[in-house]
Amino acid sequence: MGKIAILEVREGKVLDALSRFWHELLEKGLVDALLIPQELGEGKNVVQTLVSHPQSLERPDPLAPVLPVNSARIVSQMTKVAPSPRKIGVVLRPCELRALVELVKLKQASLENLVLIGIDCFGTYSVSDYGKLAQESSSPTQDFLKAVKAGKQDPSLREACQICEYPTPMNADLVIGLIGVDVEKGILVEARTPEGEKILEALDLKPSDEKEMARREEAISKLVAQRTKKRDEVLERTQSEIYGLEKLLTLFAPCINCRNCKTVCPLCYCKECFFDSPTFEVEAEKYLGWAEKRGTIRMPTDTLLFHLTRMNHMALCCVGCGMCQEACPNDIPVANIFRLVGLKLQGTFDYVPGRSLEEELPLATFKEEELQEVVER
Amino acid sequence: MAIGAVLIIGAGIAGMKCSLELAQRGFKVYLCDRSPTIGGTLVQLDKWFPDNHCGMCQILPIFSRDDSSQFCLRRGLYHPNIELLPLTNIEAVEGDAGDFVVTLRINPRGVKEERCIGCGLCSQVCPVEVGSEFEEGMATRKAIYLRHPLAMPNSYVIDWENCTQCGLCVERCPTDAIDLSAEEGIRRLEAGAIILTTGFEEFDPRPWTQYGYKRYPNVITSIELERMLSPSGPYAGRLIRPSDGEAPRSMALLQCIGSRTKERDYCSSACCMYALKEAMLAKERNPQLDVHIFFMDMRAFGKGYHRYYQRAIKDFGINFNRCRIPNLKQDPETKNLILLAQGEDGGIERQEFQLVVLSVGQVPSPQFEELSHILGIEPGRWGFVSTREFSPVNTSREGIYVCGSASAPKDIADTIVEAGAAACQASKLLSPPPNLIGPKAYPPEIDVSEEEARVAIFLCHCGEEISSAVNMEEMTKFAQGLPGVVCVENFRYLCLKDDLEGLKRRVKDEKANRVVVAACSAFPYHGLFVEAIRDVGLNPSLLEIVDLREQLSRVHPDRQQAATEKGKRLLAIALEKVKGQEPLPITSQGMEHRALIIGGGLAGLTAALSLAEQGFECHLVERETGFGGNLRHIYTTLEGGDPQALLQELTKKIEENRLIHLHQETEVVAASGHAGDFEATLRDKDANIDSIKVGAIIIATGGQQSEPKEYLYGESERVITQRELERRLVLGELDDMRSIVMIQCVGSRDEERPYCSRICCSQALKNVLGLKGKNPEIDVLVCYRDIMSYGFREEYYSQAREKGVVFIRYEPDHKPEVKMEGDRLVVEVIDPTLGGRLRIEPDLVVLSPAIVPNEDGTLANMLGLELTEDGFFQEAEVKFRPVDLLSEGVYVCGLAHSPRDMTETIAQAQAAAQRAASLLCRERLESGRVVSQVNERRCSGCELCISACPYGARVKDEERGVVVVIEVLCQGCGACAAICPNGAAKLRGFTEKQVFSMVDAAV
Repeated sequence: MGKIAILEVREGKVLDALSRFWHELLEKGLVDALLIPQELGEGKNVVQTLVSHPQSLERPDPLAPVLPVNSARIVSQMTKVAPSPRKIGVVLRPCELRALVELVKLKQASLENLVLIGIDCFGTYSVSDYGKLAQESSSPTQDFLKAVKAGKQDPSLREACQICEYPTPMNADLVIGLIGVDVEKGILVEARTPEGEKILEALDLKPSDEKEMARREEAISKLVAQRTKKRDEVLERTQSEIYGLEKLLTLFAPCINCRNCKTVCPLCYCKECFFDSPTFEVEAEKYLGWAEKRGTIRMPTDTLLFHLTRMNHMALCCVGCGMCQEACPNDIPVANIFRLVGLKLQGTFDYVPGRSLEEELPLATFKEEELQEVVER
Repeated sequence: MAIGAVLIIGAGIAGMKCSLELAQRGFKVYLCDRSPTIGGTLVQLDKWFPDNHCGMCQILPIFSRDDSSQFCLRRGLYHPNIELLPLTNIEAVEGDAGDFVVTLRINPRGVKEERCIGCGLCSQVCPVEVGSEFEEGMATRKAIYLRHPLAMPNSYVIDWENCTQCGLCVERCPTDAIDLSAEEGIRRLEAGAIILTTGFEEFDPRPWTQYGYKRYPNVITSIELERMLSPSGPYAGRLIRPSDGEAPRSMALLQCIGSRTKERDYCSSACCMYALKEAMLAKERNPQLDVHIFFMDMRAFGKGYHRYYQRAIKDFGINFNRCRIPNLKQDPETKNLILLAQGEDGGIERQEFQLVVLSVGQVPSPQFEELSHILGIEPGRWGFVSTREFSPVNTSREGIYVCGSASAPKDIADTIVEAGAAACQASKLLSPPPNLIGPKAYPPEIDVSEEEARVAIFLCHCGEEISSAVNMEEMTKFAQGLPGVVCVENFRYLCLKDDLEGLKRRVKDEKANRVVVAACSAFPYHGLFVEAIRDVGLNPSLLEIVDLREQLSRVHPDRQQAATEKGKRLLAIALEKVKGQEPLPITSQGMEHRALIIGGGLAGLTAALSLAEQGFECHLVERETGFGGNLRHIYTTLEGGDPQALLQELTKKIEENRLIHLHQETEVVAASGHAGDFEATLRDKDANIDSIKVGAIIIATGGQQSEPKEYLYGESERVITQRELERRLVLGELDDMRSIVMIQCVGSRDEERPYCSRICCSQALKNVLGLKGKNPEIDVLVCYRDIMSYGFREEYYSQAREKGVVFIRYEPDHKPEVKMEGDRLVVEVIDPTLGGRLRIEPDLVVLSPAIVPNEDGTLANMLGLELTEDGFFQEAEVKFRPVDLLSEGVYVCGLAHSPRDMTETIAQAQAAAQRAASLLCRERLESGRVVSQVNERRCSGCELCISACPYGARVKDEERGVVVVIEVLCQGCGACAAICPNGAAKLRGFTEKQVFSMVDAAV
């Protein structure tokens, strides 16, 4: 058996085929538990669940076009104190995987005993949009896959997804391939590591042919090109919106300092945010002093400082999952701003967050000859 | 009982390094120099090979950092145990080793140091203008002057030779510091040992008229080029042609000026490398410049030097012309210089250059002969100090040591090593060091931690210098109005004693618990102010210094209002800082007063003995049976020494010394901990495990000869290595040989190993002379690339040529060919002089294989050390910390560091031992006051700070998932605080609150 196999889909029932696949992983003991998105309750939403008995795996749906939480946060929560003693298959979208890789480099998660199962991502809706879709249809996932197959591009997908140039997983043990694949006939399962190969061997799957792979590669490049173009357009717009202190202040004026963006960001890993520290507890006299000096001070203070500091800390590792923008109650385009800055910064160090576990964090690496152009300026 | 003081003669880099080593070891040091400032030749240079940086500060102590309170060594040298004696000559030396009485003659400075405030007004009014020695005559100075702008002590000095005694300076001096009637003084002092660090002088090329120096304006010396390239130099770093001030388009560097001649048959060792550096720096300044180096052999033999040479060729496009050093003529019209260079093939090539630089060699200082009479030591070859092969820093008189270029020309890296070795020899003689009366006793610190801040602000006018540019009245009013300020007082000269006493009184009277001094740059008087506030019982961290002179009055002399506003801000910032300042303690940790030495070759044996003879317990671990390593295979030396006798002597001493624990057939299998507190696990051949606690580790794991892969080695018995030749020569097996071919650089200086193995040329010369000595008729041909007979080895190269040995140079892409034709051994090599192929049928072919390190990475991993690309241990800094490794408390010597000969290995082992000794001699290890801390509640354990810390002072506590600080290693740089996203890493004395209020006060 090769490294790439086809998971057969009968009668176009993609979810059933995949469901069998997930069950089999647990039943054959290939993993001891699965971290996998499932429909809960009335099916209005799909959320990450941790399941250890096949019979509890009732409605797994990792393809559902919704991302309530970036699961890198969940994996970090589970493995930071101590690595997992038993094997867990974690089913993640590309941006989640990339965030996880960054967290591992930052010692906030451990990959020990984890089987990383990455899935191709056509994008996701916001939680509320998905909720609406779920009310209208019995299977938003099936509808979504059909629409994708028909070549439709839904402009109501989250903007972060529309401009994401990493639709396929990096650093996964197993990849569930959908892009460029006729998913109503079969789904591609690719093993990228010995661990993945072991699992693939234990499953009774049909080998894939080269043609299938070539088609997939072509479709991926097409999608990436499309999204990169979109990304550049969107970020150019963002650039024009924030250029200069005035515009920056205007853009962040609606910020209510709720720090939701920080709470949902997979890479804001601090145990306690600096902005919650006593450093910012100051007496009325100080406030009055500032007001006297500057005439007006914006209250609450330090909202812009908060965003700039957060950017300073994590823009190099930002994977562009867009969770921050989702969490903003006042629709500040935080994700676009972070992507804009992140992209330039990452380009400066030729660093792609989540690309490799070996690549060192630029901030933590000292190179004697680096950024000479900055020095010379 | 020996006197626990050492006199060091010469305050160049060797003298400074010796002083620091001995001061840290606990000895009193007198550092004298005949010039008014310290620093020697070194301070004239800006950058050094092989990294084109300045790194002088690296020799400053890492531990008890607050003692030195300085950051730049160009500015001077402060250590409580070091007394500087500028303008001092040695008059007489009486007594014996351990108990010398030295008479010093001190030239008058003409300026009272305790009154001179370095304002420079005297220099401004002085009417006499002469060429500046510091700028090599390319700029002028007055008859009352500072040698260079950073000079410390920064008190001016009178040049009596040129002074006209007009008295203008006396009138102008605001502090009555000048005394034109000052007379020379005589001082007698006692010292247990004397170290000579008199260095060298540059060769004066004027007598060599063929180079036209001082006749043709566009011929300059290498040291003049250094000053020219220096941003603080006479042309602000611009490269110019002296004849017209234009930027030259072409430049030639001529090597070996004053070296490698009949009159001076030695190599100056450093010129090839500094020429490479100067060529690169010039090219950096002016990328269009066409640079040529005319040389005979490129002697890039030190660690990393061959790579540097390759960089000059590949990255900088420097042209190299191998030839006899050409004579030159000037084109009278253009003032260009015409060189007629005779290449190796005998052809003459005419080349024209706009600037010619003479790479002048090192010659002994002219006063040296007299000094050697006074000291009663034997002068050596070419007027340098005589030393012996196996005691490289001992002179002929016991108790008097020498290091650096005083004994033979050498570069900074080798000088620093020898300085450590000389300090080691003196320490051995004088151990144990005396109980010096502590630096100074202070009253107990007043506990002010619970008090409200009461800040006293002192404004110094610096005569009129500050007050003329800044409105001090307005400043005073402003300061009085700031919250927390209890008093503001103005002084004329806070650096003078009376005013300083006034400051102390006021602090006491007002019961102030924080002090802000607004005066001049914090560099010169920091220590003085710290002392003052300690005198009144305050912790030194409760003082803040504001610079109103260099950062204010001198920058904005004509904008009083703006300058005053800026001054207010600076005051307000300092006030916020000091108000939020907690008194910072010094913390300390215990010390394991013994060392582990890994490797029992010449380096390890020497290091162990050097420590044991200073009274430190050592564990010497050797993986084989028997000690000696490579030394066991060496029978002769170039200078005629007996290595086997040395080995016997060392082994005997080691075995007899009760402080040395010997572990043969033992390996170090695990190591952990940090400076002062390491734990190592040893395993012997029977798998017995032993765990030892040590304070320092010396790595002397050595190296070996590599196995040649070419020239039929291993295929023909008649192709052997130099080591094998040496053995057979000693056994007399070679008496019937008629013809021998030697091939150098076998496996060195190639793609795989781009480094020079350093010792092979000397080894070949030694064997050549040995062969010729036994049989003058034997034909020897040496195929070489560059003969690395640096220093006094040059003489042996000359001798070999005189004895008829043929040296044929080959290029790496035209290596000699060795083949068998039937049972005939044939060597074919291209003769660059004649152009044709030379065919020889020798009896033997002798190869010089590369030296490779023994370390395979295991030990480096264990101790968190790095290896170079070539597998040798990576030192902390290539020039200034050559035996320190990247983990504090771990040192290296011998072949584990880089290829070097026995003499150099002995010096390096002594230097490494001295580094360990100056660590081990501490009762406890103390931290600085400003060290980093961890707020464990906030620490996420991401380890970013660990990667950012350059000192290895942060480690993860795996159990608790947080980072902890090893305070004694922390140097307070703050890199951790900068990289930590949420302030879990913070710096004492720079709390967030403090910094935020400082920013507030600033804007």
